[in-house]
Amino acid sequence: MNGIDLSDFIAAMLATGLLRAVPLVLAGLGEAVAERAGLLNLGIEGMMLSGCFFGFWAAYHTESLTVGMLAAVAAGLVLGLIFGFLTISLRVDQVLVGLAITIFSAGLTGFLFRDLFGGQNVSAAVDPLQVAIPVLRDIPIIGEPFFDRQLIFYLGWGLVPVFAWLLVRTRFGLNVRAVGENPFAADAAGVNVIRTRYLAIAIGGAMAGFAGGYLAVADLKIFTIGMTVGQGFIALAITMLGRWNPYRIVVGAILFGMLRALADGLPILGVDVRTEFIGMLPYIGIMLGLVVLAGRTALPAALGVPYARGQR
Amino acid sequence: MTPRGRIVSAASLTPFVSSLLAIGLAFLVGGIFLEARGKDALLAYRILFERGLGDADGLTETFKQMAPLLIISGGLLISLRAGVWNIGLDGQFMVGALMAGVVGAALVGDVSRWLMLLAGAVVGFAGGLVWATVPALLRVRWGLNEIITTLMMNYVGLNLTSWLVKGPARDKARVAPETVKIPIADRLPAIPGTEVHVGLIAGLVVVVLVAVLFRSTVLGYMLNVLGRNPRAAIHAGLPVGRLTALALLLSGGFAGLAGASDVLGVQGFFKANWDPGYGFTGFALVYLARLNPVWLVPFAFFFSFLLIGGESMPRRADVPTYYVEMLEGLMLIFFAAAVYLEGLYAPGARRTARDESEPIVSPSGLVGETPTSVLSPGHPQGPSVVPSGDPS
Repeated sequence: MNGIDLSDFIAAMLATGLLRAVPLVLAGLGEAVAERAGLLNLGIEGMMLSGCFFGFWAAYHTESLTVGMLAAVAAGLVLGLIFGFLTISLRVDQVLVGLAITIFSAGLTGFLFRDLFGGQNVSAAVDPLQVAIPVLRDIPIIGEPFFDRQLIFYLGWGLVPVFAWLLVRTRFGLNVRAVGENPFAADAAGVNVIRTRYLAIAIGGAMAGFAGGYLAVADLKIFTIGMTVGQGFIALAITMLGRWNPYRIVVGAILFGMLRALADGLPILGVDVRTEFIGMLPYIGIMLGLVVLAGRTALPAALGVPYARGQR
Repeated sequence: MTPRGRIVSAASLTPFVSSLLAIGLAFLVGGIFLEARGKDALLAYRILFERGLGDADGLTETFKQMAPLLIISGGLLISLRAGVWNIGLDGQFMVGALMAGVVGAALVGDVSRWLMLLAGAVVGFAGGLVWATVPALLRVRWGLNEIITTLMMNYVGLNLTSWLVKGPARDKARVAPETVKIPIADRLPAIPGTEVHVGLIAGLVVVVLVAVLFRSTVLGYMLNVLGRNPRAAIHAGLPVGRLTALALLLSGGFAGLAGASDVLGVQGFFKANWDPGYGFTGFALVYLARLNPVWLVPFAFFFSFLLIGGESMPRRADVPTYYVEMLEGLMLIFFAAAVYLEGLYAPGARRTARDESEPIVSPSGLVGETPTSVLSPGHPQGPSVVPSGDPS
């Protein structure tokens, strides 16, 4: 193997895979809440991309990680609320609105990047606050990938149990699930369907923005036009594969993060394969995953169904 | 621009109020945005119109641009009418374009020009069709919703064509990764008296075919039923699986043909990292045309001039070309809102509102063990999007 230490290789792959998984996990957690409430958010790609741009823009000017991340979350949140207004209040088709938001975001971020940065690749001078956890950090192979990371990396993973708790253990989570399964029954039982769905898409949008902010501000510190390359859509698919269970979403995200890491890893091993070829793998993997799990998933019954009181 | 009279009656014009409203609002909000960014919005719009419509040269470019848009949106219209979301147009376009480029260049000199062009068009169509076969199979055999799979196939297609053109399909004699060039003399000829290549005629033929399909064939009727009421389609015993697959394959094939038209008529070769991204434009176009084949023509003209005019905006008005994409997004957003208003003020609004509570999209097709759940697909044009007075 070209004299490369295998354990080093595994560590490197794991490290890259985990890094690549974080935005998928973040966006996926938000999407899980939205989908459980009956909203299929195809605008997630655009919300993530807007999170990338606005997060980067704010971080570039303030050199502050926090401000950058807040701007990213705000961008996703605003787009999420627009999506919510059109699909919940106006009951317009969710796929149409989602695509519209993704197209709009692609145009808006491309425009602003060209206009404000001249399309130049500049990087934001933020300090991502690297935190190495003593002792654990020194475990061979898994030590570095897991325990020598940016603060926000731990924060991202820390949100996983929070979302699991939110969806399963709280009243809000119960309402979300009820609204996604049968909004009429939920309404009859006294759940405010409209408010619950708005909250769900607000969380979904904010998390997509957060994911974009992580990508552009904390991880890469640069913005490039169209930099999400379908990661929002992948997060959406992973969420479906994981059946809205935060822990299963994590497993899916790490698997696909590793597939993406292969593009960096194989050339190191001296395997002569073009990056475009490996670049296909995560997307093919998603489809294979869907085929394998196809018979075993169940979608919320009211996914994609607009709710109008008293009309059924 | 469009044949009037029997084909477009006055009554069928009303649905386009929403489309025009959406376009107007998008231009307005976009203009305010431009001013806020310190641009001269009026100058930008003047350049947009001048370049896209103002002179013979601009008009030629606009008409050339119409070819791929007409072909791709004709195909998309078939799938949306059948309630099938083909969001994989870009991947299908790229695969078709690459195949047309490779086969066309390989045949140059060996066969007559027309045979070469015909072969290029056929393999382009076939390439797009093959690319759509994967989501079609997954949908019909495993009940996987086509929204996710066509999206994923986009990225697979972009990577695959990029890999091929940098590797096996590359013209070794050239530095840049591109396929072998088709000599200009062998590309699609111009329509006599113009500089517009005959791809435009192909586009118009596609639109006519699609219009005939929905106006006067049983197949078109069945596709319409499937799109408007999947349950009725099942109860009527329609071959739902085959119709769904056919809608996807046809729209994929036409996307590939659009790629072939651009390569055989304009580019002459397929180059790496070339992705015009007609898929999203196609969506905006088909929706604003209210899924009505005849109206694809004026709207394709409109979007073509936007794309062409937009290319001149960075240099002459300091407005990045991405502005056009942003406008498209805004148009779709306002269109969505306008459709809602229509439901409120249209006669028989009660019925429309009631229909809206039906699942307009229910991607439970993702799951489907039984044919019934496989079926509940995207159902994009709820009754409120296709005007109910639509004759087709």
